[in-house]
Amino acid sequence: MSPKRRRTFEEIVERFVELKDTSELMMDLAYSSLLLNSKELAEDVQELEEHVDKLHTDFELLVLASGFKREEAKSFLGLIRLGVVTEKIADAAADIAEVVLRGIKPHPVLKLAIEEAEETVTYLQVTENSALVNKTLREVHIPEETGMWVLAIRRRGKYIRPKPRTKIESGDVLIASGYAEGEEDLKKLAST
Amino acid sequence: MPRLEKIEYKPISVRELFLEMKNLSELMIDLAYSAALFNDKELAEDVLELENRVDTLTYLLEMEIMIAARDAEDAEALAGVSKVASAADKISDAAADIAAIVTQNIGVHPIVSKVFERVEERLTRAKANEDSILIDKQIGELDLAARMGVDIIAICRNKDWIIDPKDTEPIKIEDILIARGAPSGVKEFKALVEGKLRKLED
Repeated sequence: MSPKRRRTFEEIVERFVELKDTSELMMDLAYSSLLLNSKELAEDVQELEEHVDKLHTDFELLVLASGFKREEAKSFLGLIRLGVVTEKIADAAADIAEVVLRGIKPHPVLKLAIEEAEETVTYLQVTENSALVNKTLREVHIPEETGMWVLAIRRRGKYIRPKPRTKIESGDVLIASGYAEGEEDLKKLAST
Repeated sequence: MPRLEKIEYKPISVRELFLEMKNLSELMIDLAYSAALFNDKELAEDVLELENRVDTLTYLLEMEIMIAARDAEDAEALAGVSKVASAADKISDAAADIAAIVTQNIGVHPIVSKVFERVEERLTRAKANEDSILIDKQIGELDLAARMGVDIIAICRNKDWIIDPKDTEPIKIEDILIARGAPSGVKEFKALVEGKLRKLED
């Protein structure tokens, strides 16, 4: 395969991974916004939905412009379908977030769902002096140390879905959930 | 076509239903992508089985809503829950669509799988053989993450799914284990589970 063609494939996969990660992140955040009754998280989901729409269009254009051969059409159809699905997932996540943004009224059935949640969501910026900087999530054991769970990382306006090998950078905003008492511990980790 | 069961009402809290839907949806989507990208029919079939479970949950959720609604005010409060049920359904349908790429033999370009494998961890599925040295061991004591960079993300036991199993969960004969990790670790893990590799290396 020519290096140029190889590069095209790499670019397609790169875009797809971003689409996939973003849509999965949206789903995580949407359910969390519901379980924690957090409008802030729900707003993040809405913001991401527009981003996914754009990513999806870019992805489709890239696939269509890749100059595939006739006998490859089927496997490119597979790719297009994968893209369509990420968009569907993103839409569903936005639907869930919309319910939260409209305001969930107290009702006995929902009370169990919402008010029993003693957990909160917190947004914390990692300062340059923090021990977390340049470490991967696997290395820093945030859940063990603080009881908080990192839902997402916001970096230069982008949202990143946390994975064990995600490296934390100075200036990152950690979006985390957990019991309120863990918040202080995480704040300390993020700033010293 | 799977046989469709009649769904009987049973009282279950909405929070529990939401939580289970969240966990199931995440697992389904993970499985579905791995199935499509690595052309894995077994994983695709697991997805379709999980979809049935989500269907059952959405029915149960709708039943909770119907029972709870007595007047207009209740209806206002509960309409949102119904919306969530339909969104959960949409997500599981989406996962099934991904699985269909495999089951309908459409496939994804092999080069895409190759490139993808370099950037993403893949999932594997392995059935615990009675000869496996992992049998009756607890997940925590195996220390798979440190040893080979593999995490067990779900267990299917007698058709029931345990998602994100706890460290104290033992591995039983016939368990279907779903794990995530780097390609080499995943291979080693599969061999261990299937009893083909009889030694746990440090």
